[in-house]
Amino acid sequence: MQETPEILKLTNVNKSFPGVKALTDVHFSLRKGEIHALVGENGAGKSTLMKILSGAYKKDSGTIAFDGHEVEITSPKFSEKLGISIIYQELNLINRMTVAENVFLGRYPKKNGLIQWRQLNKDAEALFESFGIDMDVKAMLRSISIAQQQIVEIIKAVSINAKVVIMDEPTSSLTSRETEVLFRIMRTLKDRGIAVIFITHRLDEIFATCDRMTILRDGCYVGTREVSGITKDEMISMMIGRELTQQYPARDVALGDTVLEVKNLSDHSGRVKNVSFSARSGEVLGFAGLVGAGRTETMRLLFGCDPKSSGEIFIDGKAVSIAHPRDAITNRIGFVTENRKEEGLFLRSSVRTNTVMVAMEKILRFKLFLDFNKERSVAEEYVHMLKTATPSVNQPVMFLSGGNQQKVVLAKWLFSDSRIVILDEPTRGIDVGAKREIYEIINKLAADGKVIIVVSSEMEEIMGISDRIVVMHEGRIAGEVDKEHFSQSLITEYAVGGA
Amino acid sequence: MGKKQLISKSLTTISNMGAWLLIIVIILIMSIVRPDTFLTAANLINVPRQVAVVSIIALGASFVVLGGEIDLSTGMASTFAGCNAALMVTRMGMNTYAAILVAVLVGSIIGTLTGCIVTYLKIPAFIGSLGVQYVIQGLILITTNSMPINGLPENFLFLGRGYLADVIPVPVVIMAILFVIGAVLLRYTTFGRSVIAVGENQEAAKLSGLNVNRTKVLIFTIGGFCAALAGVVQAARLSSGQPGSGADLALQALAAVYIGGTFKGSMLNTLAGALAWGLVNNSLNLLGVNAHWQKVALGAIIIVAVLFDIARAKISTSQSSNS
Repeated sequence: MQETPEILKLTNVNKSFPGVKALTDVHFSLRKGEIHALVGENGAGKSTLMKILSGAYKKDSGTIAFDGHEVEITSPKFSEKLGISIIYQELNLINRMTVAENVFLGRYPKKNGLIQWRQLNKDAEALFESFGIDMDVKAMLRSISIAQQQIVEIIKAVSINAKVVIMDEPTSSLTSRETEVLFRIMRTLKDRGIAVIFITHRLDEIFATCDRMTILRDGCYVGTREVSGITKDEMISMMIGRELTQQYPARDVALGDTVLEVKNLSDHSGRVKNVSFSARSGEVLGFAGLVGAGRTETMRLLFGCDPKSSGEIFIDGKAVSIAHPRDAITNRIGFVTENRKEEGLFLRSSVRTNTVMVAMEKILRFKLFLDFNKERSVAEEYVHMLKTATPSVNQPVMFLSGGNQQKVVLAKWLFSDSRIVILDEPTRGIDVGAKREIYEIINKLAADGKVIIVVSSEMEEIMGISDRIVVMHEGRIAGEVDKEHFSQSLITEYAVGGA
Repeated sequence: MGKKQLISKSLTTISNMGAWLLIIVIILIMSIVRPDTFLTAANLINVPRQVAVVSIIALGASFVVLGGEIDLSTGMASTFAGCNAALMVTRMGMNTYAAILVAVLVGSIIGTLTGCIVTYLKIPAFIGSLGVQYVIQGLILITTNSMPINGLPENFLFLGRGYLADVIPVPVVIMAILFVIGAVLLRYTTFGRSVIAVGENQEAAKLSGLNVNRTKVLIFTIGGFCAALAGVVQAARLSSGQPGSGADLALQALAAVYIGGTFKGSMLNTLAGALAWGLVNNSLNLLGVNAHWQKVALGAIIIVAVLFDIARAKISTSQSSNS
């Protein structure tokens, strides 16, 4: 095994956020001209690590050596100057410009201060050709497909004199043909001696393209392996290998009758395909799967946020029609969304206003006027019940911490008498202590006979709190696992479409 | 510590006062500089009378702005209503009150249509209402042949020129009644809550089961209703339906909304904004400032008022996050 020089070497990198240790003594080394996979579950610390490399975050301690010299990456500008180029999942392109203009944005060829358009197009053509890609560089960006736009984004990023190219799940929006194009680009980069860091959830892609892989788990470095010398099973066990901790309060609830039944739910965009499941009163039903597997989309369909193309929903055996969130609320369904700030809360409004938002009719006097005394006492009751930390119910929710904000969202649905509560990533961005409180609330709701549906990408969490887990893969239900058969490897296998 | 608390408390009080503070400052300054002409009962009653029309439009505009939209057509809608009412009374011999009722109804329908254009056709409110504004302007010129409509009966004129108990101008009474209704609607009803919710976070409002579309259309309906009513009062004040009278009204009303800082969620802030606007006008007049320079001063005041609002928001944010 010949050693190629290292372009990038990270040693003992640490990073903490308030309440969370995101990275603990992480090592990472990258050789010139290699394609290196970075893998780990959601929340393992991959993006934190990449954000340190891009200059978005500053490491607390540890060293970064670039091309043999120790460096302090203090800003995104500095990172770019070093030659680190990052391709994010979201596109940063301008729709109303041509492909060529997008690629060379901010560095157009100029003569006497005037842009040389012909030169620009010629340069762009040559650039795409050098990667063996057929692209109409004069096409408006909005006229080409999203997958092609992704290719443009990648070409743009690598054209900026990059020595290290980081790709953060670039294949999630690509078709298999474009994925092939992407792999070709990666190999061309490799041949030019450029190093590629490839973040992906799709293990098959690692075997298809990568030389080495580094595994992170819970912010810790697990190891680096040659891809040729590892099996898929070993990979999975390195990703998840750990015991369940006692983070999850025990629950002893006898399950009741089937309350919710969903049959053949599909949407128009093909992100949810023929999804059927049912849930009983007192049950906590978990939804596992990779990001983009269609779990959130399924919940949005169930709650009436997006139009269905097919499917029936039964509550207590009776078919119900849910075409709008209002219908869902009438049928006593509540939805704690994944993005509480964007979809769940009115940040500038107070705790009390947020608490009663869904069920304002419950605090009306003469069926017309809001009763502020009642509003306050209701809000205070939920603050007390959920142990929400807030100076008063008049506090705007934007000043609360993530965990307390989540409790306000929960209060909103509890006050509206939800019987079926959907929680999408309920503990994202919440510190450990508050997480446990959320789990306790979930248990209490289950004990009250409610149906709880939890979507979570954290394997440990979903196994810790669910009675049963439905695993989704690419819009379909890939498998269903009962509590006695919970195992991380089984669920992961379903999630990657392996089983 | 005690001193610090005192400062922070007084800062909070000041920040909650909004445009009322501006009003107090102007009154203080003018009482010193022009005590003889400013501090007379006639002058102090004159100010609300002068701003009554604008503030009634601003009341409707507050709902639109709180709901996260904007309506540039309210000025023309108000002129249209004034001319319509005048036309119906003088040319068609309609009963004054019936004519006013029809004119206000038409105004409300225009507002509703603007709301539907913005909500269902998904045209940005700025450009959608701009289009509506020109359509109405055209209609006004067609129906009036761009000539003033004179000869309004006494009971019509009373709405603009009359006094209650010989002291309180009728437009001020109308304004006061409407503001009470508007304030109650905003603060004490689910509709008012919905307006604020939709303005703050449309997606969250939808997911909370609020009827976002209906709310959005209704705020424009209210905007049209208030504009039309203001237009009737304006026609009564001017003793005629004036086709050219509304060019600037929509923008003046918006200025009142922003100077008032309605975002605190109180309709009285809009009233304060309109009064402050009127006081500045009045003071500049009394100080003998030339009309052209008055425009410059008023424009500067809009900018400074909004700047002040942003600064206040920052102060209250840093205070609460410190606590």
